[in-house]
Amino acid sequence: MIHNYLFLSIILFCLGIVGVISRRNVFTVFMSIELMLNAANLAFIAFSRVHQNMDGHVLAMMVMAVAAAEAALALAVVILLHKHKSKLDTNVFSLLKG
Amino acid sequence: MTNDLMLLLPLIIIGAGAILLMLTSAFEKLNNEVTAYGSAIIFAVAFLVQLSACISGNAVIFSEAFNGILVVSNFSKAAGLIILACGFFTTLSSQTYFKQNNFCTPEYYSLTVFAASGMLLLTMAQELITVFIALEIMSLAIYILVGYDRKNVISTEAVLKYLILGAFAGAFFTMGTAFIYGATASTKFIKISQFIASHGFSQSPAIIGGSFFILVAFLFKAAAFPFHAWVIDVYEGASAPITGYMATALKAAIFTVFANFLVLDGTLQAGWIKYLFYIAVFTMFVGNLIAIGQQSLKRMLAASGIVHTGYLLIALVAVDSNAFTGSVIAYYLAAYAAGTLGIFAALSYLGGAGEKRKNFDDFKGLAKARPYSAAAISIFLLSMAGIPPTAGFMGKFYIITSAIEAGQIALAVLGIISSIISMWYYLRLIINMYFYEAEEQFNESVPSQSAPICTFVLVICVFAISLYPIAI
Repeated sequence: MIHNYLFLSIILFCLGIVGVISRRNVFTVFMSIELMLNAANLAFIAFSRVHQNMDGHVLAMMVMAVAAAEAALALAVVILLHKHKSKLDTNVFSLLKG
Repeated sequence: MTNDLMLLLPLIIIGAGAILLMLTSAFEKLNNEVTAYGSAIIFAVAFLVQLSACISGNAVIFSEAFNGILVVSNFSKAAGLIILACGFFTTLSSQTYFKQNNFCTPEYYSLTVFAASGMLLLTMAQELITVFIALEIMSLAIYILVGYDRKNVISTEAVLKYLILGAFAGAFFTMGTAFIYGATASTKFIKISQFIASHGFSQSPAIIGGSFFILVAFLFKAAAFPFHAWVIDVYEGASAPITGYMATALKAAIFTVFANFLVLDGTLQAGWIKYLFYIAVFTMFVGNLIAIGQQSLKRMLAASGIVHTGYLLIALVAVDSNAFTGSVIAYYLAAYAAGTLGIFAALSYLGGAGEKRKNFDDFKGLAKARPYSAAAISIFLLSMAGIPPTAGFMGKFYIITSAIEAGQIALAVLGIISSIISMWYYLRLIINMYFYEAEEQFNESVPSQSAPICTFVLVICVFAISLYPIAI
């Protein structure tokens, strides 16, 4: 039974990675990162059930709190980007070439 | 109990100070000057408390209340000292920097202190979720500081890149934690260590996968080879004092927790060492290649930061997990911090309005116009290149010696070769400063004496640290 949850978690995580790499819209990229964090949360809860303790639930709550803080900052950055370029496409930001 | 409180006091001072600064920045009467000196005082007090805490030994602080998630060792105390000193010099350099650059608000200093609180927590954390939260406290404050110049498109782009990639690495860290929690039913380092001791490292795929994800996150934050590309752009986009802060304090915090995680079990370390070997080699040489091609001074320093990450990875490969002290890593971090912070403190007042001087060519003939500043920058560069009698030389000496003692002869030789290659771009700036006619006069008056004093103190630090003996 645990396997199903783990498979779902890993699929969500991989979808998140693909989203971060392939999508060009800033919003979609941040959503993909949230998806990855939530995949980890699902794994925490599933493992918590396996081990019959509540640790995993607490950890998932912590991760959610941090993810919310990160999302708040991400939205502020999105507004800043929109002010500068009136676009949310990561392609228009190529002043710095690493 | 009192002892525990004493060990935790630097973190409490920094945390309370950050909140206090954030609250007081709402008052209009308090200008940037007061906040700058206030945050410097907070850092100084926390530094002195941390220094006085050094007399006691290792301790699990408040083991009842915190359930053993925070552990103070000599290594974490040394890293704490480095972080607090970096914060102190950064705030003073910023004070001068913002005389010429006009985008400061009092919250800037509050965020610097917040970042330091995350870093201090990171050095003590012995539990994966605590590490994650500390990492995010540090990173969120640093993201804002990188993008603080909101009118500047380049710094906006830098914060976008840093935020996307940093959050990506954070997600990897969480997933790694989930895997390790799945295998061991705990996220505490001591429990993980017990689990690996009883079940073996190579027998449990969840531990291997989990530790792989966590190492990826650490390597990303430390800007090691496959994950180094962001660092150059982010350093260029950030303001000079913040770049110095990121290059030194952040790296000290990351390497402390990296070492703490890696030595939690001997077989875990042995399992990853052969990969870390290649990562260390590639980090050094790729960093060198990038640094040689740069025209901008900040980008060169960013790339040289990648090379120094490579040296620190050598030290990580060479650590003995049975008798771990971390003295070599802490020493190198201190030596590197003194040199790098010094250069960025000098850039804070030499950069001019809007950081107009940023390329190698802009510093031609500096030695004629400002002989003391040029001499100080030369000393920092020589320390980073590893010329005796500076701290950088002793740091490299200890790292190479520890690598040879651990049987990693090849790594030691490659480290020395990389160190010789790195002379190229360090000496290039010295040649530009001393052997060219001045194209401009550098005659604007220095608006505040804080950053020049920082530079002078750090010159003394470079020599003083080299005299400090450590046992490998």
